Amino acid sequence: MNRVSLILPALFLTGGAWLASPVFTPVAAHAAQVDETALDDQVRNIAKTLRCAICQTENIWESQSVLAAQMRQIIRERLQEGESPEQIKAYFLSRYGDYILMKPRVRGWNWLIWAGPFVLLVIGGLVLYRTLFRWTTTTSVPADPPPPLSEPSRRRIDDELRAFDK
Amino acid sequence: MSAFPNTPPRSPITSPVDNPAKSDDRFRLRGWHVVVVATLVGLFLLFYQGLWGDPSAIPTVLIGTPAPTFAGPNVVSGETIDLSQYRGKVVMINFWASWCQECRVEHRNLLALYNQFRTNPDFVLLGINYQDKLEDARQYLGVYGSPFQQVRDVKGTISIDYGVYGVPETFIIDKQGVIRHKQVGPIVGTAYSLLTERVLPTLLEGAGPNAS
Repeated sequence: MNRVSLILPALFLTGGAWLASPVFTPVAAHAAQVDETALDDQVRNIAKTLRCAICQTENIWESQSVLAAQMRQIIRERLQEGESPEQIKAYFLSRYGDYILMKPRVRGWNWLIWAGPFVLLVIGGLVLYRTLFRWTTTTSVPADPPPPLSEPSRRRIDDELRAFDK
Repeated sequence: MSAFPNTPPRSPITSPVDNPAKSDDRFRLRGWHVVVVATLVGLFLLFYQGLWGDPSAIPTVLIGTPAPTFAGPNVVSGETIDLSQYRGKVVMINFWASWCQECRVEHRNLLALYNQFRTNPDFVLLGINYQDKLEDARQYLGVYGSPFQQVRDVKGTISIDYGVYGVPETFIIDKQGVIRHKQVGPIVGTAYSLLTERVLPTLLEGAGPNAS
């Protein structure tokens, strides 16, 4: 029996022992870490829908301000207390009003924000349609047909033409 | 030789360019004209209004709602101050920070306002220290003085509960515990006279918490 054939089972055994040992069983800690990531995801999802109160164009997930950091902390604590994302958003809405939402609620005057561009588009389309309609109809209206020639006039024209030909 | 027979056309010869009937038609006011003009005027007014005022101002939604309760350590002594211990009184709360220049400007007015109402047992003035270092806040109070209580907003929860987005901001809570007034920015000029001559006297004369 050579040395390698002894080492391999030995390695296998020690490896198995190591896997079974408490060193490799931080399962609970690992699970907790996964939970934390899930919480982070939840915090991020909520924070991205809320507008930073002092930097206007940023959401509170991206903002570096102290206020945004405190708001993220509040989101985290409320999630840990078992509140739903809707309850947390409702909380911030009750304190800061519509301003705090990156996407304002479709309600009241806010309808203008959502419907306005489409209303303007429709109005513009109508104006364009009417203008084009008018152009095409005014240019294609046929002139009135000439009145039919009366019999005396026709006879006189014939006479004149015959006299001209002679 | 007979005269050329008079055969006028039965209808006047028209061209689309110089047709008087059609041009009248063209300038007639129609429903959709009104809609377009009204929309444009509305948009113009909206943009015009947007030219003025502070674009970062957040309209408050808290007036008329119950004041959020809070408790926090006194900036100087560290003992807990709880809003609920002032139930039934008119409570004025002023958010400030040592790094805030406008707070320094208004501090003299806060002292004057406090001196004017301090004898009234129904009046309470609380300062709330916002996003600040404890040493800086203590130093500020040492320099400028504060005969009224100062609460430290440790984690920003009090400020966020009150929808604060900058300092100074001031809220006035009536005897029923309802937010009745909010002042964004320093209490100077007309803001000061509004508070001292109208808002606070009216609320202080108001009925107590058990009246309604």
